[in-house]
Amino acid sequence: MLFSIEKEVFLKGLGRVQGIVEKRNTIPILSNVLIEADQESIMLTATDLEVGMRAAYPANVKTNGKITVSAKKIYEIIKELPEKEITFKSKENCWIEISCGKSVFNIVGLSSDEFPHFPEADVSKMFPLNSSLLGDMIEKTYFSVSTDETKYNLNGIYFKSVEEEGKNILRLVATDGHRLAMTQREVDTAQNEELTSGVIFPRKGIMELKKIAEESESDISFGFMDNSAVVVNDGTVVVMRLVDGDFPDYTRVIPKNNETIVDLPRDQFLHALKRMAILSSEKSKGVKIELKNGLLEISSSNPEIGDAHEDLEINYNGDNISIGFNARYMIDILQVLDGETIKLAVKDDLSPGLITPDDGKDFLAVVMPMRL
Amino acid sequence: MNHRTILHCDMNAFFAAVEQQSNPSLRGRPIGIIGSGARTIITTCSYEARAFGVKTGMTIYEAKQRCPQIELVVGNNRKYTATSTGINQIFRDYTPLVEVFSIDESFLDLSGSLKIFGSATRIAMQIKARIKHRFGITCSVGIAPNKLLAKLASEMKKPDGLTIIPPDKVDATLEDMPVGELCGIGKRTKQHLLTLGIRTCGELGRFPRQVLKKRFGINGEKMSNMGRGIDLSPVVPTSEKDEVKSVGHSMTLPHDITAREDICRYLLRLSEMVGRRARRYGVTGRTFTLTVRDNDFETRSVSETGLSYTNRSDEIYRAILTILERFPLDKPIRLLGVRLSGLRHQVRQYTLFPDDHRKEMVTEAMDDVNDRYGNFSVSFGSVLDSERGARVISPAWRPDGIRYVNVE
Repeated sequence: MLFSIEKEVFLKGLGRVQGIVEKRNTIPILSNVLIEADQESIMLTATDLEVGMRAAYPANVKTNGKITVSAKKIYEIIKELPEKEITFKSKENCWIEISCGKSVFNIVGLSSDEFPHFPEADVSKMFPLNSSLLGDMIEKTYFSVSTDETKYNLNGIYFKSVEEEGKNILRLVATDGHRLAMTQREVDTAQNEELTSGVIFPRKGIMELKKIAEESESDISFGFMDNSAVVVNDGTVVVMRLVDGDFPDYTRVIPKNNETIVDLPRDQFLHALKRMAILSSEKSKGVKIELKNGLLEISSSNPEIGDAHEDLEINYNGDNISIGFNARYMIDILQVLDGETIKLAVKDDLSPGLITPDDGKDFLAVVMPMRL
Repeated sequence: MNHRTILHCDMNAFFAAVEQQSNPSLRGRPIGIIGSGARTIITTCSYEARAFGVKTGMTIYEAKQRCPQIELVVGNNRKYTATSTGINQIFRDYTPLVEVFSIDESFLDLSGSLKIFGSATRIAMQIKARIKHRFGITCSVGIAPNKLLAKLASEMKKPDGLTIIPPDKVDATLEDMPVGELCGIGKRTKQHLLTLGIRTCGELGRFPRQVLKKRFGINGEKMSNMGRGIDLSPVVPTSEKDEVKSVGHSMTLPHDITAREDICRYLLRLSEMVGRRARRYGVTGRTFTLTVRDNDFETRSVSETGLSYTNRSDEIYRAILTILERFPLDKPIRLLGVRLSGLRHQVRQYTLFPDDHRKEMVTEAMDDVNDRYGNFSVSFGSVLDSERGARVISPAWRPDGIRYVNVE
């Protein structure tokens, strides 16, 4: 195998697979990237058996062939090479020679025979989604995904399509058991069997999907096969194994009778929370939110440092209510919203709080209080 | 370097002395303190009983063989912890540097107190008099330049002793002292040292350091120092801020058990004890340890670290059960222990989903009831048949702070 390629192109391609290769090194070949040269392009493939990515990049191929090599090492090498054309040559016994300008690297790879099979996507059954819409929806829910691996069914974003008033709605929900974020948009794709019953995209796969959605301007195609989701965009294919588990009944935990509702200036509220969070305890990040006549008071205290409080003038004339919340949870929500005002609906210090955008549409977040 | 002045105070036959004080009819008589379990042993006995050769750790049968008239008293740990707390309070009048070593032993660093109170001997006399007056208990006091020697000194005269090892008498005192008298050199180490021809502290101190180091590793160096009466360890005051590193309970079962359901029942009980204590201290942990001792006194412990932190009894129990699967359970079991470690402070975040939430609420309600009416007033149905936990004072017991446990 012999090909030459622009440094920028090669580096970009190798950069994209860095998040996918297996870092724990339990199966050595999984920390390698598969490089295949064929006519006018090279194909880079990486997988950890849960999430896999395969993408083609233009190259000047002299002889076809394939080899695998440590994804991390080759990325480090290419990154430091001068901005010139790079020549990549595979030799006997899986040795690879990389040369660029006056630098020459000889590194050892592994045979491509051992690399796991990457499934061919069946493009005929796929449906498109607008990439900026998808990127936005992921951003609005991703922060709530659980990082606790014992709660495996919460380690991803739940995709579900529903029909409301004859419209086809795509809904994304994520929760970690303490908070929940949900966003939905109307999509013009036909009903899809898997989406109708609901599927959980794994956290790692979502990360890759988000990157693709942010980089790309064209639609992203989705499809399902076996227990995996297939995502295709501009010559890049991502295959991810869906989380095998039931997503909890999220509709039950969305509060329906939180009758104390206040409008809050989003930006002011966000910055006040960030200030107050500085003095909340390191681990709990708890702040107290109190609704008083005409005021919302946020306060925090840390026995080892001191205390702080800040008032926001609001339109409220009900009873005094005082609730503890994790400031981090509130900040996460306010950061993904963009309207000028938001609505906060609460009931008491034991019941979940509900945050929605001003128009109340397409997004909601539920946060359980904490005891301070 | 200035010499430190360390005082070690050891209550004489502590449990027995407390019992003799609370019940005058027991005074002057041979008594033995025993546990409440069916297979208990002598935990302490009075000096009157010791005269007959009764010793701590003997079975009741052995004790009665030697001293048929021995009066057996079931220990009341609450009495002992309360007395110990009071005694340590007296110590604190003389120095803030009080290290509670166990329920009946404490170290005091008096280096800074001598100017105020005159001499260490004077402080020792005052302490002894006050403890005698207030609690009617005698104690043995040792005063020396470090903890190792202070403890050695207090052991030298019992009961009601006061022994001083001044800095210039250290070498003379240690020269012919058998190594086994040193705190930290047990039977096994003593045997090992004997094979090297070391019998006394003097011999230990003179023995080539390198050889000891090679033989015993890092402890070899420490032992060489011990032989020469060097001990740099500070008196560490026990305070509220003491970070608790683990929460654990173990119990010797009333009789050996083999059935898995019996084992599980005790494990649930222990899990609840551990969970409840962790909740009381507001800590959660994610490392679970199961200890099993079989009827041949073979003890094994297995730990497992989970991914999420908990202090809920049912979750601890579940984690412990998965560890139990790894034990062959081919022999009758004598002792079971459950421990939670890898602790961090609990975040009081309520959970969103009703199932989790309900379990938290139930736990909270159970704790409320048990706080008011005593442990196990409300508990899991399946522990109903088991007997109450071992009433043992853990070595980690402290008169106050997070380690304080009201043992009953």
